[in-house]
Amino acid sequence: MPPALSPRSRSGVVPTVRRLLRTYSFGFALLVSLALLIANLLTESGGFGWTQQMADFAPLGLAAIASTPAIISGGFDFTISPLIFLTNAVFVIWLLPHGLGGAISVPIVLALGAAVGALQAVLIIVLRIPSVVVTLGLYFILIGVDYKIAPNAVSISSSWLTHLSGSVGPIPGALFTLGAPFVIWFALRFIPYRGVMFAVGSNEATAYSTGVNVGLVRICAYALGGLFAGIGGLALTGLVLSTNSSLSGTYTLIAIAGVGLGGTSLWGGRGGLLGSMLGAVVIYLLGSLLSALQVDPNWLQVMYGGMLLVAVVVGGKLALPAKQAA
Amino acid sequence: MRERSSSEPLRRPRCARIRGRAGAVSGSDASSASGEPAQVLVRVGGLAKSFGATQALRDCSFELRAGEVHALVGENGSGKSTLVKILSGVHAPDAGSVELAGEPVRLRNPHAAQDAGIVTVFQEVLVAEARSVLANVWLGADGLLRSQLSAREKRARAGAVLEELLADPLDLNCPVEELSLRDRQACGIARALLREPRILILDEATSALDVDTRDRLFAIVGRLSRQGTGVIFITHRMDEIGEIGDRITVMRSGRSVAVLESGGWTPRELVRLMTGSEVLEELAREEAASFANRRGEPVLSVRGLTLREGRRPIDVEVRAGELVGIAGLEGQGQTEFLEAIWGERTVPGEVVRHKQGRDVVVRSPAQAAANDIAYVPRERRVDSLFGWMSIRENFGMPTLQKDTRFGILRPASTRRRLQEYVDRLGIVLGDAEDSIATLSGGNQQKVVVARWLAAGPKVLLLNDPTRGVDVNAKRDLYALLTSLASEGLAVVMISTEVDEHLELMDRVLVFREHELFRELERSSLSREALVAAFFGAGEEDEDATGALAEI
Repeated sequence: MPPALSPRSRSGVVPTVRRLLRTYSFGFALLVSLALLIANLLTESGGFGWTQQMADFAPLGLAAIASTPAIISGGFDFTISPLIFLTNAVFVIWLLPHGLGGAISVPIVLALGAAVGALQAVLIIVLRIPSVVVTLGLYFILIGVDYKIAPNAVSISSSWLTHLSGSVGPIPGALFTLGAPFVIWFALRFIPYRGVMFAVGSNEATAYSTGVNVGLVRICAYALGGLFAGIGGLALTGLVLSTNSSLSGTYTLIAIAGVGLGGTSLWGGRGGLLGSMLGAVVIYLLGSLLSALQVDPNWLQVMYGGMLLVAVVVGGKLALPAKQAA
Repeated sequence: MRERSSSEPLRRPRCARIRGRAGAVSGSDASSASGEPAQVLVRVGGLAKSFGATQALRDCSFELRAGEVHALVGENGSGKSTLVKILSGVHAPDAGSVELAGEPVRLRNPHAAQDAGIVTVFQEVLVAEARSVLANVWLGADGLLRSQLSAREKRARAGAVLEELLADPLDLNCPVEELSLRDRQACGIARALLREPRILILDEATSALDVDTRDRLFAIVGRLSRQGTGVIFITHRMDEIGEIGDRITVMRSGRSVAVLESGGWTPRELVRLMTGSEVLEELAREEAASFANRRGEPVLSVRGLTLREGRRPIDVEVRAGELVGIAGLEGQGQTEFLEAIWGERTVPGEVVRHKQGRDVVVRSPAQAAANDIAYVPRERRVDSLFGWMSIRENFGMPTLQKDTRFGILRPASTRRRLQEYVDRLGIVLGDAEDSIATLSGGNQQKVVVARWLAAGPKVLLLNDPTRGVDVNAKRDLYALLTSLASEGLAVVMISTEVDEHLELMDRVLVFREHELFRELERSSLSREALVAAFFGAGEEDEDATGALAEI
């Protein structure tokens, strides 16, 4: 009898932790965000104000969520933050004054976001240059466009969008904006696309050789991110009721940090939206905790960076098999 | 279990062919028997393709009939892989025609090829590491919007194919990155089988498989071909060609030079056709006497190395000028042993390097390198090559120290050093400044070996350096290793090929279940002894011995 050639027993503590961390890559962000939430609740005097907090958080959370699909598919998208401000500016400067500020604005804004995302992917595919280069170029271009549309900060008096930062009945409005990407993401489970997107991010050559239309998968991933950025634009507009192009770049790196904190591999192929949102929660709550404790805000950036490093170490070193982690 | 009955007829003819190669193909191959002309699935003519200055294909003709297993043989760089990539839609030909079932086609991408029923298992083990086994074997089978099959049916079919291939089931939810190389390759093969191809291309698809898995794959291939599938099969193992090939197309320098019918050839003739030389050069091997002369002082001792908990510790001494082979079935601890010596893997026990009366314990690759040990890992593409750098840079990377004057790097010096090895190893290259990617697999491997030789090691560790390397490149390597050994280099080398051990080694360590199972000295080295040791002494597996004895 030939011997058993490869023993497949995978028991023991370390492999178990590994598998848990891989299946629930957002675990680290979840634990830290829960701890920070408790710390916030304890330090916050005068009530936490869930509805307002969530509304404040929504644009950042959506920026992190929107950055995720491109990263999972093996690319990068730095345009999410300027795109959120672009959709915001388009709403404030063009749609609202032309009587398109109602429900009709939603499909317009979302389509705009998706179109910019898709355009970016098309450029990456057609020009055959690394996605980082294309996205960095587009980042500056979009900021320029933002300024062109709204050279000065403009405020609006009111819009139905304020519901998104307030509440709809008893439900915090931010639940709708933050929840929408998850509904879409969940629905994508039921078609092969989502799995294929992860496969493309994990190993592009393999996906291509098996007949996957890698280009189309990438375009859809970037378009999905752009769509989520559009939702972020709506959330931002509802929150601030204004547009200010000088802030266009605000969420760029912090969103990517959120993605990394949330356990999504920055090399593609693993992770998910929930992690990114939790990563953003960590960043947000850390900020509010430190300001409540009246810590010098300069330390905040140091903390973000440190957390990101820890998260990537936890996610990258522990979650992967020993061979890959080296 | 279904294939049980079909695997039997395939095994029998193999034994028959060992006796007399004139014997006809087994009668069960209805389609290739005379009388009814089998349908031609693929016909290519005048195919040419160049990459930059390299003319990969010059004039290639090829024909695949329904129901045949067509072996494509040739050295590395002879154009086999390019032909396969054209048929798979990866490359577009510069000239020539491709016809499928009589219709001219243009295969624009892999998707188009697969729509046309052509499915390929490529030489590289292509898997999406982070994805599950299930996701991997069905990758590409669906569109983006709709699944062809229900999730349950996918599981059932994937499980069945993998079990047929591996003999025991694989956890379908397990991420592929946790699997051994063999199982990853099995995933790639299963993926192709699940697509139910009309034309199946296996390009070196068995390189990481153990003997049993390979036999099971051949049984499946035999069944598919009887059902009318055309199979194109590329291998560097002569025994495999004899085992399942119905016809053979021989390629040389981008041209198809001969089509041989099964049974109408001898290995010698095949080698002649591949190399184009009339005389098959037998490797001049120094015999035991000269070996005894070159065996010098101990240079390396392995003491109490335990590769896995509860396994017997390993003690080995390696002397200067010795060629030590590491053998065994796939995954019996050979790689772990080498990596432990290299210091990359921390296991109980110690590795001691003897340097002229001074003993140094090696605990890390850095220490190993500092003590004149060099390691050539197995996965060339992943572990050894800087894919986008030039041949010169790939060669010189770890030894750039030698090319500096007053701290300033002089590329000309690296080129000069490289040239030495180009001559000695017979590396075929255009220009040293070309990308390493322009070289064939065999030449890439030579560059990697040259890189480490340039460091002037006293102990050279090689992990299956001839995997996927053509006959001539292998011979160049053998000759080089033998001459280096006579200069006092100690070589410890894993090889999956029995012949390599027989031809090259002074001593072979056979690994079994992560233990050193047997040590065979040159004097007691024979095919039978080796294979018997692979499978454990006493319980000699007739079938497996037969399979290997055929070479």
